[in-house]
Amino acid sequence: MAAELDEGTKKRKTSCTKSNSRNAIKRNKKLKKNHAVAENFGIRKMDRKMKKMLRKKARDYNSDDDDEDNGEKEAGNSEGEGSSDNEDSGEENIDEGNEDPEEVLADDDGEVQPGIMRFSDGCKSFQMAFKKITKTATTDDVLGPVLSAHKKLVIEKLAEEEAERKVKGEAKKEKRLLGEKGHLKPANYLDSHEKYLIGIATRGVVKLFNAVNKAQHAQKGLNPSRSKDEKAIKKRRKEAFFSQLSKTSSQTPGKVAASTIHEHGDGPEWAPLRDNYMLTNSKLKDWDKMPETMDVDDFRMPQDTHTSSDED
Amino acid sequence: MARFRNKKRKPFVKPFVQKQANVDHITGDKIPKSFVFSRGKLPGSLRQLQMDLRKLMLPFTALKLKEKRRNNIKDFLNVAGPMGVTHFLILSKTDAAPYLRVGRTPQGPTLTFKIHEYSLAADIAQCQIRPRCPSDLFKNSPLIVLSGFGTGEQHLKLTTIMFQNIFPAIDINTVKLSSCQRIVLINYNKETKLMDFRHYSIRLQPIGVSRKIRKFVQNHQVPDLRSLQDVSDFVTKAGYGSESEADDEAATVSLATDLGRVNRAASKSAVKLQEIGPRMTLELVKVEEGLCSGAVIFNAYGNIDTKGKEQQTKEEENETDDEEEEDEEDDNDGGDAE
Repeated sequence: MAAELDEGTKKRKTSCTKSNSRNAIKRNKKLKKNHAVAENFGIRKMDRKMKKMLRKKARDYNSDDDDEDNGEKEAGNSEGEGSSDNEDSGEENIDEGNEDPEEVLADDDGEVQPGIMRFSDGCKSFQMAFKKITKTATTDDVLGPVLSAHKKLVIEKLAEEEAERKVKGEAKKEKRLLGEKGHLKPANYLDSHEKYLIGIATRGVVKLFNAVNKAQHAQKGLNPSRSKDEKAIKKRRKEAFFSQLSKTSSQTPGKVAASTIHEHGDGPEWAPLRDNYMLTNSKLKDWDKMPETMDVDDFRMPQDTHTSSDED
Repeated sequence: MARFRNKKRKPFVKPFVQKQANVDHITGDKIPKSFVFSRGKLPGSLRQLQMDLRKLMLPFTALKLKEKRRNNIKDFLNVAGPMGVTHFLILSKTDAAPYLRVGRTPQGPTLTFKIHEYSLAADIAQCQIRPRCPSDLFKNSPLIVLSGFGTGEQHLKLTTIMFQNIFPAIDINTVKLSSCQRIVLINYNKETKLMDFRHYSIRLQPIGVSRKIRKFVQNHQVPDLRSLQDVSDFVTKAGYGSESEADDEAATVSLATDLGRVNRAASKSAVKLQEIGPRMTLELVKVEEGLCSGAVIFNAYGNIDTKGKEQQTKEEENETDDEEEEDEEDDNDGGDAE
């Protein structure tokens, strides 16, 4: 690794790329020492050598990450400082790099085993390739960096997808529109029609409340559940009813239908006076048979008036 | 070996169901009850409309009625009998429009309305500045006002009868005004033959009292007097211009009893309506004799009256045929016996 780095530094001179670190220099010095030691002590003792080599490898391996980080950090370091030192150390290291694996891995013949690439060579080529790739300026394309051979295919595929999505979205929209058919969001203001409707409803409520007021005024202060009061209430109601009859024989009756206030645009308001009162049709027999609907005509008098009139 | 017994086993407790009376305890009238449900799959907004209709029909309706796809009208009918349900409101949807069917159980008739336009309660609340929903709004059934139905046509008469009976009748001698909180209005337009279906809440306000004082009495809150020079200004100073506008003579009522803190029997009150929703524009399309079946009494589209007659006559013929056949069989039986 160290060798590779150094080569990198060497290259830096020519290609004006990145950078150098102090750590690398330090380590190179260390390596030199180690090398010397290795030469002094026995070439004979293989396990020691192996150990050393392994240790070195491990160190290189571990220091790799740090190295790169530092390199990046100290990218702005002065080139002049490193240049002279690096040249010397680099050259030495190249020699060292050439010798080191030979010492360890080479057979007696001194040849490199097949299948094992020189570490430095492999890295160099990779570096070159990688740099080439990173240097190329990518065009501002929607697709991004895509190999040109696939470019057409990718474009086609994307277009197809989009078209599909569009069709799907339209179908969904149509379905939703169909579901929402008739759904109307009301306006924020009251238009004339709404006001008219509210007016009708208000009239109905007023009519009912007035009727209730008139009816309940008669029985004020009496409890309908007590029998004594009940008689009094009945009497009062009867009086009220007769007074109504005598007073409003021609006008509208004061007491209006119970829950149902029916407003007619034309004709007299009391149902029996209308032309279509109790119109019967042979076809309408079914609901006419039902007793409840029968007695609930659209103009039902309150119960008490029925009873009182029955009594008389 | 002794067996392990599940100690957690509890006896089955029948869930307590508060039974609603079928009969009004004061007047003795039968209380109409209703089911609101749908046939077929509805889109979301219509499902919301169904929920709104259920709320409208409260309190005598099943608010949380669950239905499955395999339920048919017969199932609902079977439940309706013992529960005293008298009316069905059925929502359905075709490609043309959503439809509302209103039917009496168990024998009919059924009115089919085409829903031309509808707005949900949520829509209406959204377009109001202050939507109003007091807590006891849905505790009593609404009043109903039918307007413009007096044209004398049979199907309209039938419609009025149907809608009058869908809500419990009110005895004006005993009714409490505090229970009259909502009103349903159905207005028939002669020209367009459409019905406007509206749902309002009723509010009473005392007349001749300024807004400030009314709010003061209602809210129990200390009013903001910062901008006033004197306390008397609070009473004498007029408020906004819009206050005086509302007091319409036609909309005033004198109450029989006190209503709330503000509305006294002695003073007059103004009736104010605010829409709750849902809002519908209906067209009566069809009237059937039975519950979603039977002969067509009325059809809005052209000369179907005659068709209905033809059908009827055909059916009658069939019936008579059957009877005849039966008679013959009877005769045969008699013959055999002899």
